[in-house]
Amino acid sequence: MNPKFRLGALLLAVSTLLAPTARAADDVVTVGACQPITGRFAFAGVAINAGLQDYLTYANEKGLVPGKKFNYVYEDSGYDTERAVACFKKIMAQHSPVIMYGESTGLGKAIAPELTSRYKVLYASASFSSELADPKTHPYSFISGPTYSDMFSVLLEYIARNKGAARPRVAFFYSDTEFGKDPIAYARKRAAELGIDVVGEIVTKVGAVDVTSEVLQLKKTQPDFVIFQGYVLAPITEVVRAAKDFGLKTRFMGTFWSMDTTMIDKLGQDADGYMGVNPYAYYYEEGAPGIAAMRAFNQKAHPEVKYRPNSYIQGWFTGMVYVEAVKRVVAAGKPITGENLAATLDGIKDWDTGGLSGKVTFTNHKAGIGRVYKANAQKGIFEPASDWIYVK
Amino acid sequence: MLIGNYQESYASDEAIFRTPATRVWMGLALLAAVLFPFVAGDYLLYLANLMGVLALSALGLNILIGFTGQISLGHAAFMGVGAYATAILASRLGVPFWLSIPAGGALACGAGMVVGVPSLRIKGLYLAIATLAAQVIFEWIFTNWTSVTGGIRGLNVAPASLAGWRIDTDARAYFLIMTVAVAHYLFATNLRRTRWGRAFVAVRDRDVAAEIVGVNLFRTKILAFMVSSYFAGIAGGLWVYFTKVVTPENFPLSLSIQCLAIVIVGGLGSIKGTIYGTVFMTLVPELLKATTGLARQVWPTAQSYLFPLQDVVFGLLIVVFLIFEPHGLAEVWNRMKRFFSLWPFEK
Repeated sequence: MNPKFRLGALLLAVSTLLAPTARAADDVVTVGACQPITGRFAFAGVAINAGLQDYLTYANEKGLVPGKKFNYVYEDSGYDTERAVACFKKIMAQHSPVIMYGESTGLGKAIAPELTSRYKVLYASASFSSELADPKTHPYSFISGPTYSDMFSVLLEYIARNKGAARPRVAFFYSDTEFGKDPIAYARKRAAELGIDVVGEIVTKVGAVDVTSEVLQLKKTQPDFVIFQGYVLAPITEVVRAAKDFGLKTRFMGTFWSMDTTMIDKLGQDADGYMGVNPYAYYYEEGAPGIAAMRAFNQKAHPEVKYRPNSYIQGWFTGMVYVEAVKRVVAAGKPITGENLAATLDGIKDWDTGGLSGKVTFTNHKAGIGRVYKANAQKGIFEPASDWIYVK
Repeated sequence: MLIGNYQESYASDEAIFRTPATRVWMGLALLAAVLFPFVAGDYLLYLANLMGVLALSALGLNILIGFTGQISLGHAAFMGVGAYATAILASRLGVPFWLSIPAGGALACGAGMVVGVPSLRIKGLYLAIATLAAQVIFEWIFTNWTSVTGGIRGLNVAPASLAGWRIDTDARAYFLIMTVAVAHYLFATNLRRTRWGRAFVAVRDRDVAAEIVGVNLFRTKILAFMVSSYFAGIAGGLWVYFTKVVTPENFPLSLSIQCLAIVIVGGLGSIKGTIYGTVFMTLVPELLKATTGLARQVWPTAQSYLFPLQDVVFGLLIVVFLIFEPHGLAEVWNRMKRFFSLWPFEK
């Protein structure tokens, strides 16, 4: 046998192994997901997957869409775009879902042409990239919450509302990645509109640990606020600590991924004063029926779980949007297709999420909403510092 | 059973496929390759395309490492150069794919020429680090030369089209990728038998001796770098039409390492081996994933262990392979062939 034939034979063997399974029945709504359960995004992927899966189970238990059951199929895509695209195609071929979930901005971009021309399924992902929130280029995709630009807008608005006599001085501190640079151009514009001076921009690699020169730069420019983007923990913790050592009065702020309580665990007492934006409420918050229902579900289904991170709530919230879209399509008496599901997004206005988020309105396939939270080092939690702020 | 291979003319002695059996198998393989898109689904076609692109790129690296003995850790960067050149030509200037892909290859070839210059003075691990610098520099250029490369968001490219036939599905991309890959496979096979191919091997085995017998070291090494990065550039160009988007994050160092792993697992200096290596490195993780999927149905709570275990098993498989067959999959295959050519008459 020669190499070409061997390749073909191997592929055929694989194809028989992975032959498509039976099609789902009419009363079943299949949701597929390529989740970054391994790889460098696993810290969030595992929780997102659990959140999405749990919400769909919850919806089935409660019968949220009468006559329909949600079937959740997921695979690990390892936070690797090629593997994720393969996973996407495999799930589409085997289960023909009408809704898909994807692991990253990279997958969203790579699958976009075929999502629009062939697959036509409702698609959301772990990404908050503003690039994907464009119904013209990504008609089937939505962001399950605000984009990074919206998050910056929320923070800047908070700064503008709480300013003193002088014009607030802000610095942006971001990583040299797509994730880091995504909202910066918009943020500069928005700051100017709100009368905020951007006094510095610091760009670093992800996870850079020696931050002395960056902190010295902050000392020189003396911003009132520094907003981090494009990091999870490192080097935010190092910068916050070093700034304290240098005696800076600067307040530090983060966006979604830097707002989990692990940040407070890492910072310890230095966490006091750290702030940021979160589009969702925290797992421990009281007075939100949506969060209480989530906790009740977890107590029953996973009694060993005491806390759920923000990414779990992100997965849960995405599940809520999926179910809401299906509910609206069913109510309108239309068939459940990607087109119909995507069309309902624009109709979601002032949608009550039971306090899990504010009143959600989808514009341009994203919900521009967020709340500023402030760390309480004593209690080890984030506490609301503002009401829900809506981005126009 | 084949007992001899009698050649009557120089032409038959020089043929690539020398026995009737090889020609029959080759014909069948070609037929299977042509029929494949009609029977396979999207998922398999996607994997086949991915393997086509990776194999082409790894083939280039094998010419550099396996033939010429010059190590490179910047191979993904050359793929990136080819991909960006192709994408810029296609999206900004509307150049058709049959021009933009070779142009990408040519530009990558030029980049390889520059990066290869230090190879005259430094060898081995030192050269590896020098080429690593190329990887970092090109990645930086892709990210920061925003006006040309589109920066961190990259470039979107419309599907290629040939006389009104749009290459917008995996099946169509398959034909494009396979045609180019097979042509380059034959090119690499032939390259080995030319004066230059033999010069590559001479440089690898003992550069001083090669120079004494009249091989121009500098030219040979630079040419190896050029050919290698040309292959990578073409692979990058195909990648563009296959994924229709190109961002700096598509060509990280880990891709260079992956190509290196393909070459080593497949067999250094073996062209066939590169194909086996690509198949192994692409399909085994997918098969492991399918297996964990089945295991999950039986044992649903184990997912938190099973998923990371895939990588562990994959890593172990590579180690085991290399211990038992350091010459790679190509040698495993040759041994199997030798065994079956005598079977059942061996003692």
